[in-house]
Amino acid sequence: MLDAFVGGLILVFQWKSFLYLLLGAGIGFWVGILPGLGGATTLALMMPFIYKMTPQEALPFLLGMHSVVQTTGDITSILFGIPGEATTVATIVDGYPMAKKGEAGRAIGAALMSSLIGAVFGAMFLAISIPIVRPLVLAFGSPEMLMVILLGLTCISSLSGQDRRGLLLGLLSGGIGLLCSLVGQDRQAGILRFTFDSLYLWNGLPVIPVLVGLFAVPEIVDLAVRGTAIAGDVPSGKLGKGVMQGVRDTFTHFWLTVRCSLVGSLIGILPGLGGGVAQWMSYAHATQSAKTVEEQEGFGQGDIRGVLGPGAANNSKEGAGLIPTVAFGIPASSGMAILLGAFFLLGLVPGPEMLTKHLTLTFSMVWTIVVANIIIVLVSFLFINHIAALTTIRGKLLIPFILLLTFIGAYTSTNHIGDLITVLSFGCVGYFMVRFNWPRPPFILGFILGELAETYLYVSTSRYGWDWLYRPKVIVIFLLAVAVAVYPFIQRKRLQKGESSDEI
Amino acid sequence: MKKSTIFLLVVFCLATVLFSVDRSQAAPYYEGKKIKIVVGFAPGGGYDRMARLLAKHLPKYIPGKPTFIIENMPGASSMITANYIYNIAKPDGLTIGTFNRGLPFAQLTAKKGAKFDMRKYAWIGSSAVEATVLVIRTDLPYKTFDEMLKDKSVKMLGSTGPGDSNGHLLSMLQAFLGMDLKNISYPSSADVMLAVERKELDGRGSSYSSALPFIDRGVVRPVLRGRIAEEGIENLPVDEDLVTDPKAKTLLMMRSAPDRFGRPYVAPPGTPENVMNILREAFAKVEKDPELQKDAEKNKMKITYVPAEECLKVINFILNQPEDMVNEFKKFVQF
Repeated sequence: MLDAFVGGLILVFQWKSFLYLLLGAGIGFWVGILPGLGGATTLALMMPFIYKMTPQEALPFLLGMHSVVQTTGDITSILFGIPGEATTVATIVDGYPMAKKGEAGRAIGAALMSSLIGAVFGAMFLAISIPIVRPLVLAFGSPEMLMVILLGLTCISSLSGQDRRGLLLGLLSGGIGLLCSLVGQDRQAGILRFTFDSLYLWNGLPVIPVLVGLFAVPEIVDLAVRGTAIAGDVPSGKLGKGVMQGVRDTFTHFWLTVRCSLVGSLIGILPGLGGGVAQWMSYAHATQSAKTVEEQEGFGQGDIRGVLGPGAANNSKEGAGLIPTVAFGIPASSGMAILLGAFFLLGLVPGPEMLTKHLTLTFSMVWTIVVANIIIVLVSFLFINHIAALTTIRGKLLIPFILLLTFIGAYTSTNHIGDLITVLSFGCVGYFMVRFNWPRPPFILGFILGELAETYLYVSTSRYGWDWLYRPKVIVIFLLAVAVAVYPFIQRKRLQKGESSDEI
Repeated sequence: MKKSTIFLLVVFCLATVLFSVDRSQAAPYYEGKKIKIVVGFAPGGGYDRMARLLAKHLPKYIPGKPTFIIENMPGASSMITANYIYNIAKPDGLTIGTFNRGLPFAQLTAKKGAKFDMRKYAWIGSSAVEATVLVIRTDLPYKTFDEMLKDKSVKMLGSTGPGDSNGHLLSMLQAFLGMDLKNISYPSSADVMLAVERKELDGRGSSYSSALPFIDRGVVRPVLRGRIAEEGIENLPVDEDLVTDPKAKTLLMMRSAPDRFGRPYVAPPGTPENVMNILREAFAKVEKDPELQKDAEKNKMKITYVPAEECLKVINFILNQPEDMVNEFKKFVQF
């Protein structure tokens, strides 16, 4: 075990492997920054290049690319309020307001550092769980999956405003998200729901165009209307200053970062849930760390913890996501599905052998994730001032580029004109949501989890009848979900009480 | 002007004309061109991996060595791609498509949105045969299909939803053999396999190729197959042989028919015959290419060229069924 651990590291630093790792990470850097264009799509594009490579060359190349996209995706999310990746949307909620306040440097510093901690944590999680990986993954049956999805949905309460009106709007927003997830052919009976005779809608609304529309378009409109730069009235020359502050923030809230990494890893090993959920659950967890009412209300206005949480989680899920792929040949996400294809190409058979005979290679994957992220974070730190300076460019000059990138990114989703229509439609929805103070994160949670919830409810009941309700693990996760749903109210009560007693 | 000058000029002109004619005759149709393969599914799946594999090796066998590019146009069980190739793509041999082999059923059951006639595509053929099998967990007390039938417990079997032809096999087995089974659909093939691993399911209907890694690992074993066989499963019991009712036999036969063209490739209707011949020949030749074979083996794929005529024969068999048969079929296959 230990020699495989060290052997894996040595494998990564063989000059050829390392060169490919650099190449992969370099590509991943740009893929992450470009909005819409995702890691999975790029993996598919890279596939033809690996035919002649050995596993020691191809895996650093592919993994190096795939494991850094969320790191640099955070940068786009923070700077422009546009998701660089589908998994970095949650970073926008607090990251973009920070950029507007002229704290882009600090936010990026924190995002990069937390990404690095997340990546290392995820890789360690993968390394440590290798001996117990099989029982760990097998412990989650469909009923347990359903409960985890429910747990995800209860985060809506933390993601909404804390007064009664805010909660109502949050629930409504989540409900509309759920409704939108119903679009398409239902999985059980094949009935077409809300497809309006359009084949495009058969598979449901595609996630990336919806996300991009909802988050990017309102910000672009806002930028155009303000007529200033993103960091409008902030004197120039102050921007890059906060970088070290951001790094320090990460260590001030070190345990929060670690806890959010753990959330990411736990979600990551469950096939099907993926980063779309992990980021929001960890964001919700971050909001729970508020110590005063003002702090609680400050989330969404640019609280550094709102950047740290998702920053860590979307990277830590990467290592954990490898677990089912490597150990069972069952991919946890679309990116992992393509990676699985690469495994076959390289003559590797995923399964128990990867944890015994090819353990060194498996550990080299762990190290690849760590090393690639360290490199990219260091490189990003070098350029951070220049990157942050983008927020001082006048909006009029920036908007055409952002629009172009946004539309190209969305169009790569299915290469169909419908992608663009979806962006524009959800752009309108997003605009009005912002205008009337409806929280957007609950919508996303409802939208991503709706279909999964429906499927696993169906699978659980048709497989187990109602017996699944009595499974001990189901009950435990259910109680946890109730706790997560109720916590914000208890927290608020407690905070208010604490404040009033302070006044006395 | 001197006579010799005029003579030279004439010769020069003639030569230019002759050379240019000669050049245009010699230049192959595909020289300097790009062929786009439109794939009806997202990157990473079996259809996509096959297309990318072929794209790598096909240029060797097409005069002029065109470049191949892949475009994924997923959606509606690949009906978007089928419609695109049928109605929009130019019939110039520069756009070809690959889509769900079950699409003839969409046409047969007159699915709304299916804007194509399977018989009218310019068929290139298929690059693989995809047999359907029933696989069960190796740790179950019953080892063969016969024993499985005799076992009285309810079988929990998985599939991936209404468009999944492997799932149709399950519902037919339930109806024709009176098997006590539950057909439970999961989001994707991977989810079904995980459910099998954690013993939530006893087995699943699957294409043989996608079950193969799990068969090799000893997680599942195949116990029954459809009419179409592949190397290694010829001796399994065949679903049709187990039923006596001729109607049931035909329905099972219809279900498994498209397995014959597991990875279909078509060009838009009306693509010129000489271009089609180039493409068909290339597909036929590439099957035997040793480098392709090696890559395919690595991919755990098997390349078998099924000629266009054969694909069309299967399609005609499906589409020419009498109406009562079609109505019966619709009970099992909604597409």
